[in-house]
Amino acid sequence: MRPRVSSEDLMRYLDGEMPPDERAVVDAELGASTELQRELAIFRALKTDFQALSFHPAEYRESVWDRVNERVTRPIGWILVAAGAAVWMSYGAYVFATSPTDPWEKLASGAVAIGILMLLASVIWDRYREWQHDPYRDVQR
Amino acid sequence: MQPDLERELIRKCKSGDARFYEPLVRAYEPAGLRLGLAMMGNEEDAQDALQEAFIKTYDTLHRFDLRRPFGPWFFQILRNQCRDMLRTRKAKSNVEALDEKLEQRPADGERGPERTRQRNAARDTLWRGLERIGDEHREILVLKELEGFRYGEIAQILEIPEGTVASRLYHARHALREALLGMSVEYP
Repeated sequence: MRPRVSSEDLMRYLDGEMPPDERAVVDAELGASTELQRELAIFRALKTDFQALSFHPAEYRESVWDRVNERVTRPIGWILVAAGAAVWMSYGAYVFATSPTDPWEKLASGAVAIGILMLLASVIWDRYREWQHDPYRDVQR
Repeated sequence: MQPDLERELIRKCKSGDARFYEPLVRAYEPAGLRLGLAMMGNEEDAQDALQEAFIKTYDTLHRFDLRRPFGPWFFQILRNQCRDMLRTRKAKSNVEALDEKLEQRPADGERGPERTRQRNAARDTLWRGLERIGDEHREILVLKELEGFRYGEIAQILEIPEGTVASRLYHARHALREALLGMSVEYP
């Protein structure tokens, strides 16, 4: 006759997740059932062999820390660079606008500066769109 | 890692100092790689999943409750990351490749060519058995047997009720046993 120990209880017994009073009940059932003893012995053997699977990657790989650190700290770097650049550009624009230079010179210089910035922005935008669709972007070089 | 030290490191990380994240990464990397390998089936994907999981963990540290243990929380993120990658990248679960990339470290006092050969054979057999069972079975077996998590922690990681863990473990062990029987390996 099948003992009154469920499969779940057998697992909890095997894994030491059962309180003493319940363990005593299972112990009693084990004493009375060779079928249950055999089932427990099978699972115990599997457990022991599995736990003996001490392994690690054969090829030594460097820690992922460097890559994690790069990704974790990079946004802070970008924020600082962007903030610094914005402050300098604002200050430069203010100095340029309030300087006693000829208005035509200001206009020409301003057009050149704005043109360069627009070209730079469009190149960055193109690169970004390419990167979004790059199937190899996750490949480590 | 000592829980107090772990909590202190997380507190520092929460305040924005990423330097204190390194000891946490290095402490959880080996176990994370084991779970990643078991779920992804190859080392490259396991490393990618691990890296992304560490980054997501750092990004969500502000939501982490310091009264709770860090390990299960991190493994929950890693497990979800592995599942996402398996879904979106359809990473090839190639446990045969895993076999080639794993090497066994004999325990102290068990060195010797014959013992090593026997243990290697047993290990290979078990891995081949693991290859034949599903991802869900494999992940719960790794969490329990290799990482030694308690039922409550496994429940948290797998996002299932604690009462379900024993049932899931039974089915996983039963499936592994059936797989081994299919390979003409009798237990015990």
